[in-house]
Amino acid sequence: MTFELFIQNFFNALTVGSLYALIAIGYTMVYGILRFINFAHGDVFMVGAYFIFFGAATFALPWPLAAVAAIVGSAALGIIVDRIAYRPLREAPRISALISAIGVSFLLENLGLVIFTGLPRPAVQPEWMVNPIILGNIRILPISFIVPLVTAVLVMGLLWLVYRTRPGLAMRAISRDIETTRLMGVSIDRIIALTFGLGSALAAAAGIMWAMRYPQIHPFMGVMPGFKAFIAAVVGGIGSIQGAVLGGVLLGTVEIMAVAFYPELSGYRDAFAFVLLIVILLFRPTGLLGEKLDDKI
Amino acid sequence: MTTSTAKTGGYTGIDLNADRNRNSTLGAVALAILGLVWANGHLDGYQMQLLNLVAINAILAVSLNFIYGFAGMFSLGHAGFMAIGAYVSALCILTPDQKDMIWLLEPIWGPLNTVHTSFFVSVLLGGLAAALCGFLIAFPVMRLGGDYLGIATLGFAEIIRVLFTNWPALTNGAIGLRGIPAYANLWWNYAWLGLTLFVILAILKSNFGNVLKSIRDDEIAAQTMGINTTAYRTMAFCLGAFFAGVGGALMGSLVTTIQPKMFNFLLTFNIMMIVVAGGLGSITGSLVGAAVVTLMLEWLRIIEYPIDVNMTYLMGHAWLQVLITALALAALWFSFRQVRKSGRGLSMKKALWSLPIVFCGLILAGFVLRWLNADILPAEFTIPGIPGMRMLLFSVALILIIIFRRQGMMGSREFSWNAFYRFFRVPEKQKNIPMAKGAAMEISGVTMRFGGVTAIDNLSMTIPEKKVVGLIGPNGAGKTTVFNVITGFYRPQEGRVVFQGLPMTQLEPRTVCAVGVARTFQNIRLFAGGTVLENVMTGCHVRQDSRWWMAPLRLPMFHKEENEIRRKSYALLARLGLAELADEKAASLPYGAQRRLEIARALATDPSFLLLDEPAAGMNPQESGELMRFIEKVRDEFDLTILMIEHDMKVVMGVCSHIWVLEYGRLIAEGGPDDIRSNPKVISAYLGHQATETA
Repeated sequence: MTFELFIQNFFNALTVGSLYALIAIGYTMVYGILRFINFAHGDVFMVGAYFIFFGAATFALPWPLAAVAAIVGSAALGIIVDRIAYRPLREAPRISALISAIGVSFLLENLGLVIFTGLPRPAVQPEWMVNPIILGNIRILPISFIVPLVTAVLVMGLLWLVYRTRPGLAMRAISRDIETTRLMGVSIDRIIALTFGLGSALAAAAGIMWAMRYPQIHPFMGVMPGFKAFIAAVVGGIGSIQGAVLGGVLLGTVEIMAVAFYPELSGYRDAFAFVLLIVILLFRPTGLLGEKLDDKI
Repeated sequence: MTTSTAKTGGYTGIDLNADRNRNSTLGAVALAILGLVWANGHLDGYQMQLLNLVAINAILAVSLNFIYGFAGMFSLGHAGFMAIGAYVSALCILTPDQKDMIWLLEPIWGPLNTVHTSFFVSVLLGGLAAALCGFLIAFPVMRLGGDYLGIATLGFAEIIRVLFTNWPALTNGAIGLRGIPAYANLWWNYAWLGLTLFVILAILKSNFGNVLKSIRDDEIAAQTMGINTTAYRTMAFCLGAFFAGVGGALMGSLVTTIQPKMFNFLLTFNIMMIVVAGGLGSITGSLVGAAVVTLMLEWLRIIEYPIDVNMTYLMGHAWLQVLITALALAALWFSFRQVRKSGRGLSMKKALWSLPIVFCGLILAGFVLRWLNADILPAEFTIPGIPGMRMLLFSVALILIIIFRRQGMMGSREFSWNAFYRFFRVPEKQKNIPMAKGAAMEISGVTMRFGGVTAIDNLSMTIPEKKVVGLIGPNGAGKTTVFNVITGFYRPQEGRVVFQGLPMTQLEPRTVCAVGVARTFQNIRLFAGGTVLENVMTGCHVRQDSRWWMAPLRLPMFHKEENEIRRKSYALLARLGLAELADEKAASLPYGAQRRLEIARALATDPSFLLLDEPAAGMNPQESGELMRFIEKVRDEFDLTILMIEHDMKVVMGVCSHIWVLEYGRLIAEGGPDDIRSNPKVISAYLGHQATETA
């Protein structure tokens, strides 16, 4: 492989990895607090992409405004889903919440199919994003710089929120011991709603940028990135935000580079993540940065 | 295990109806076979296909329920196991000639081109291959359990799909396999369903079933019982995978064409829907669910096709309009009431009940528009078919089931022949049994055992009429068990209870109430959500002659009786000093008032015999003093016999004219209060043997 090709693949990997990381954060935060896999998270990502499409194309909003509207709308969706489908099941066996989440996932996908139809939609891309930047022999889309940058900013913001603010403190406390936190006077439901809102906002941001990178929007576009981002969260160590970022970037790199170096494997691309998952579960079940969660006896 | 029979006092735990039940099962199987013969001759191709799908989905649902509901594992890999079963089986039954025709892109792998087996062997091999893969996947992730297993099995199913798409030499790639011999007819499918049920029920009914459930309920406790939880989990998972593979193999032969993309997550979702709708942990539920969900999935296809609405036809038929308007108005009224009832502020319930309001409102608005001859609605229009609507409804249904009725249709209950026959049993005309004069109830030789524990041992009591009598004894003496035997909650192994010449031991609790025996509970059991008045009115139900369907019809008989019940309940509350609390929530009453209300509710059933289980529990001396007067008042005013269990000796000695003393299920003394007070056996039972020695 030529150096130019490698650089291009490197940026590709970084882009895809950043997007996985953004989605993975939502999984890892919810799992850290509720010990629950929010199967519908990938579909919130899809809804985010649709929101910006309709914001920009149908309502003719300026692009940045449409992006903000899409993020806010998706955050609201995440909170509503939690309120309707998950909160009534907090005291129920874990399997019930999981089944409910799978139900929500199918609901969102099919609602998308009913409302938006199955027709793939082109994403609206601002002019300056489409023209590649040319450095000698290297052609790189501006989006490949933007995505890692935006991701870095968003993650910084999130880390600040989680480690430097009172709601963040409450979140970390809940993930340690939900009952004690409740006794300390923290409104658990509100913090959980905030968690869902934040996770969904990040997923929507990822959805928007995904639609810029791969400009086709359809109701099932969230399924695979959703699964893979969850795997990224497990690989990085579920419950850890830094782990989710690391896992996301790692998974993106493995996917892009494996296909770049061994093109004959391109058919298996979707299977890499799952193989990686099983390997990680075998050798380091708590993930790269995760701590061991012990059941009390 | 033979030595233990002596200790358990002859209790063997063998179902006395085993013969009848086995014959019933054989009969049901014979009937099912006849049904299949009939179906084979009379149904058309589409109906046959559905019937076949029901059987295959039942196999898949039972196997998934075995993993979810009994072994307590969350697996999302069913589609993957089905794919393996389908492909292995197809590779075995395709003839070598066919294989030459199918594998065009790339020749089939080595020796596979000559493999050819019978259908049964191929299905078996499909199942075994799936079980083997189940073992390989279970081995690494089983010790993690929980959600990791779910995500790992989901990943496994995806890997299988990707692998099968990209391995043309084995699977012919994305094109898939066509022309698989259609061996999977009704006979094969239902025979495999029978085999699945036989194997899984045999395991679940044995002690190994208990072992699996113990791991599901508390893995740590199971380990301390010496159970190798990992081994059993792996076994259960592989068995589930085996039958998933079998289901996949049958499915492949039923539809005759398989492609990797068929076996996606949607397939797992459908089966999960069946299991959840039927009830996690109920095999019966999975069978019922398989039939219901399979048929629903087919019938709901309608809503994905366009529907023609002919308004001219509708407007030409007055009765149709009246009917639809009436239905819409009724639904509107009902939903409005529900919304009003759901209180202030936004809530889930309110939001849900608003949907029918909007829907009915739209229908009515449409009618009004037509009557006004407005041309806003065209005379004929088509509601376009909306793709995705069907799965949308199904996902909503799944969420609603899991939130509002988590136990599904069956919960964890199972069909049993005993329950079946109990349902159809006609109560036998009982001969009157002569009783001693002046006796309200005769208990003779009653023995009640639970497993090896004898809770009541050969108890005989003759309870005199119109008296307050007491049953006392230390904790665990079996007092409440006596009450439960009298009121029909327990069936004693020996002896009988005769009330007013009527043998009681075979009666249901509600019949016991109907013949005039009422009771209260040690731990108060009021209908907590209802008001005081509603609790008492509920007690009147057993004497009510009108029926529920008379309520919407507003029949005069219903009105008269309803008013009568209300009046009688008020009067009862007034007599017991609860009248001013009539509209309070029962749960909000102070403790003493709750006890009195429970007695009021019991009295509302018009009993001639009242059982009070620790009425003075938790009361201070002043309150228990009031209670004594209250009990005597009840006895005199309502003219009945009262048998009470009580620990408060002051109350017992104060109001009871005759007392029985139980210890370890045996009667150790009976007599008047003074006899009991001085009886050395009673003193030692209560205070220990030392007390009698020093006394």
